[in-house]
Amino acid sequence: MLGTYYYHEIVRKTIISFGTLFNDIHVRHQDKGGNDISDLKVPLAYGPVQKFLARLEQQAELNRAVQINLPRMSFEMTSISYDSTRKSSLVQTFKACSDGSKVKKVFMPVPYNIGFQLNILSKLNDDSLQILEQILPVFQPHFNLTIDLIESIGEKRDIPIILESVSFQDDYEGSFDTRRALIHTLNFTAKTYLFGPIADSSDGLIRKVQVDLYADTNRQTARREMRYTVEPVAKEDKNDDGVVDAEDTPLLMPGDNFGFDEEWQFLGDSKKYSPTQQKDI
Amino acid sequence: MALNPFFLQGTQSEQRLVQDIINEHLRFHGVEVTYIPRKFVNKKTVIEEVQSSKFDDNFAIEAYVNTYDGYGGAGDILTKFGVSIRDELILTISKERFEDFIAPFMAGIDDGTEDSELPTPTRPREGDLVYFPLGQRLFEVKFVEHEDPFFQLGKNYVYQLKCELFEYEDEIIDTTIPEIDTQVQEEGIISTLKLIGIGRTALATAIIQGTESSGYVREIFLDNDGSGYTSIPTIGFTTSPTNQTGDTPEAIGILTTKGGVTSIEKILLINAGAGYTVAPTITISGGGGTGAAATCSIVTTGQGVIRYTITDSGVGFGTAPVVTVTAPPSSGISSTAVGIASIGRDSGGDNILKAIFVEDTGRGYSSAPTVTIADPETLSGLGTYIFNEVIVGERSKTEARVKEWDQDTRILKVSNVSIGSTQLGFFPGETIKGKDSGAEYPMLSFIQDDIYNEYTENDIFESEADDILDFSESNPFGTF
Repeated sequence: MLGTYYYHEIVRKTIISFGTLFNDIHVRHQDKGGNDISDLKVPLAYGPVQKFLARLEQQAELNRAVQINLPRMSFEMTSISYDSTRKSSLVQTFKACSDGSKVKKVFMPVPYNIGFQLNILSKLNDDSLQILEQILPVFQPHFNLTIDLIESIGEKRDIPIILESVSFQDDYEGSFDTRRALIHTLNFTAKTYLFGPIADSSDGLIRKVQVDLYADTNRQTARREMRYTVEPVAKEDKNDDGVVDAEDTPLLMPGDNFGFDEEWQFLGDSKKYSPTQQKDI
Repeated sequence: MALNPFFLQGTQSEQRLVQDIINEHLRFHGVEVTYIPRKFVNKKTVIEEVQSSKFDDNFAIEAYVNTYDGYGGAGDILTKFGVSIRDELILTISKERFEDFIAPFMAGIDDGTEDSELPTPTRPREGDLVYFPLGQRLFEVKFVEHEDPFFQLGKNYVYQLKCELFEYEDEIIDTTIPEIDTQVQEEGIISTLKLIGIGRTALATAIIQGTESSGYVREIFLDNDGSGYTSIPTIGFTTSPTNQTGDTPEAIGILTTKGGVTSIEKILLINAGAGYTVAPTITISGGGGTGAAATCSIVTTGQGVIRYTITDSGVGFGTAPVVTVTAPPSSGISSTAVGIASIGRDSGGDNILKAIFVEDTGRGYSSAPTVTIADPETLSGLGTYIFNEVIVGERSKTEARVKEWDQDTRILKVSNVSIGSTQLGFFPGETIKGKDSGAEYPMLSFIQDDIYNEYTENDIFESEADDILDFSESNPFGTF
């Protein structure tokens, strides 16, 4: 039953988007006079990693003089669960077109919550607090990210990232043989959507609308009175020839800024327009 | 009950003998380690932490490795924060040797100045570092055991230093022993500055219109700067009536972006053309923008600079140099030509003079004027940056700390970019000055992204997200 191959990399895109939020956080240290003497950009990475790759990359020369470089942050996906509160009918579809040619038929996506855990490992409590105070005020308790989930249909969705909880572990008690571990953990939920297969529709992009108007509802006997035609017209130089003219119109894309040409034509005849022959008969 | 007075529990001479034997044993069978005391640069109160530390002294001492069959601890493990090396080491050092040869010097270090605070200098201290040369590793003393063995002949003779590999943050390690100092050179987020070594002045000549009845374009006036440009537009002129090669002018549009809108800042002539009797019509096309319009003035009598020829591209320009053209003879109607230089990279990556555009041809010249191009910012960079010193950008005032300086390639690796400033980086062309060394070199380029740290993925997230995230307002956490 299942078997149509598709892979939109939506979960990966959600992971990247989540990571982008925290990739430019800094920690500063001062001297006794309160002057800044260091500014550390906090390294961030996605936690789960292939073991041999971690060893090859992070410990390429085997010997390392220090245990680890701090502070640093890592995050990982901890759960994927269906969100019934955002459920919509599966058979419902919408059409999208991002390349200006074929219209694509898209089934409504399935709402899923992706759980993320952001961990902050620091040497100093003050470092953790500096990092936390740069993160927490932005989530009230959510922050919306607009993510282009599927490029081929240009589907940008607001994905709320919700801060669910903050906890920390500070093992400062005990024997001097054990080192203090200072880890802050922030749990988030990203409310994303998973899309099924996207099929090219047989429908093309509508570039012209034509309506014949009758004075009577009986089309068998009534005469056509008027024809109304409307077509989009380019307002931008799409072909870069220095002028905005009729040659730019066929290059219009759905997201472009365009105007319309309207035409009213008085007919007063008994002909009918044949969509198959594309002429009056 | 008192002790039996006929048995001594250890005389001073016996204790002395034991201490001497221990000292000798350690010097035979020990390893020469380097003891590096920690100086407190800033200690936070309330949340009791030493926020900033400095390690800039070193003391050699012999130590016996208790864990002779290898390091203790959990070894190399993969954590959610990447690879962590949990090696531990227990070292035994002579109490007497420490107190005689290290403690007095440590006491002398603390002169009461702000960055020399060194509490408890009379004994090995938790938090100090020990460099273990066999493994080329920096260990931090976690605990100093002073009662093991327990009062042999009534006295303790050794300290046991229980050590764990150092967790590095931003501590300054500057012991003057290169083997130790270089161990943390590539730790942390490191940015790269490409500096300019030796600069050379560029040379160019001016070409003036050869006849008195010239008909060349003198100046272009931008009537409407347009908007929405994504690339440089094409500037066209109606063909010269003479229709000879080189008679139709060539020009280039210079773009500027303000408030997210890119428009044409100015149009400069590459060649002013010849043969016009009325000003040609200018068309601006392509580049993805619209709305730009320009007109021009022509000169039909008198000679002006119609183009420039570069005879030596020079090298080492951080910013476009100023072009000076000598004035025409003062008789009659005359005005001085104005040229605008443009720089770019050559195949070797050095910034050279690529072109000189005509902003104003001037008029009234009877012979080709002399063109003088300003020297590069620094004709020759000076000095050697010192490890750990702070550098500062002359114009941006951005500061950073030196990690490594390669005089041959003129690559300067730095950490802690933007100490105490909101400025995100250095400006191309500005002079980078070492605060301690006095070294000065102009900067060619600045790569903020860390290309050495294999854990950090900050830059990868940023570049990957460019295609999928829509921060139509702004990223509240900042962008870089």
